[in-house]
Amino acid sequence: MANDWQPGLEQLPDFERLFDEHQSMVFSLALGMTGDRGLAEEIAQDVFVELDRNIAKIESPEHACFWLRRVAISRSTDALRRRRARGFGQWVEIDENHGAQAEEKSSPLGGRIEALLATLPEAQRAAIVLRYQEELTPEEIAATLGAPLATVKSQLQRGLKLLRTKAESKLKEYIRAV
Amino acid sequence: MPFDQTDDFERELRESLKRQPAPESLKHKVMDRRAQNRGQIQSIRSAARQRNRMIWLERIAASLVLAGVAGSAAIGHYAVERRKGEEAKQQVFTALRITNHAFQVMNEQLQQQDKDSQ
Repeated sequence: MANDWQPGLEQLPDFERLFDEHQSMVFSLALGMTGDRGLAEEIAQDVFVELDRNIAKIESPEHACFWLRRVAISRSTDALRRRRARGFGQWVEIDENHGAQAEEKSSPLGGRIEALLATLPEAQRAAIVLRYQEELTPEEIAATLGAPLATVKSQLQRGLKLLRTKAESKLKEYIRAV
Repeated sequence: MPFDQTDDFERELRESLKRQPAPESLKHKVMDRRAQNRGQIQSIRSAARQRNRMIWLERIAASLVLAGVAGSAAIGHYAVERRKGEEAKQQVFTALRITNHAFQVMNEQLQQQDKDSQ
């Protein structure tokens, strides 16, 4: 796509092509953040509809990817806050949603780690999802989240530590494995 | 632990956070909403154009009404002034008639006195 992207010209980037290329990333980011497939699909819809509205502002393929990651994380955080404000039973829902997914995973720990991830504070969860799903460096995560680098590093370390602690106390399989 | 080093737990985390394919229905839903939004934008633009046209028509109508009112006022004012002029003219004529009558009476009295003295 980078070859035929023509920044500065009147021609707008092809929305459908951007969608095909990034749908998995956006959906997975929302899923990692919310732990709920239905909500993740809704968030992905919102993100792409917003991309369509702002497509004239997209300058390059890299910018599109950066923009989509940023908006996906932001919309996911908003959705989680809205759900919390409505007093949604987050813990119950996470267990219900991840119970089914855990069986689909190839790794015996996979689904449970994902379920534990959903119990982390949003900022730590965002940093961890961007780090381990998108393989971003702390600098890239800081740019995506618009946060200071030191904060992002701290969120990554704290999040990982908290996740390990939760895993050690809750996952017997993991304790046996280590 | 430095960020470039990984352990088993991080490998598991990475594995569990692998990108997943989006649901089949996502593309259809996004395209539907996109088309819907475009339709809404079109109808909003069309409504805005209609509103602008209405605003201009209202302005023209208001201008015509104002011009009519101003014209009527001017005509009314002219008619009032003309009537006042007519009244003043009539008053002057009346005054002249009275004066003329007074002169005639005086003239007759003088002629009568002349006749009496002769």
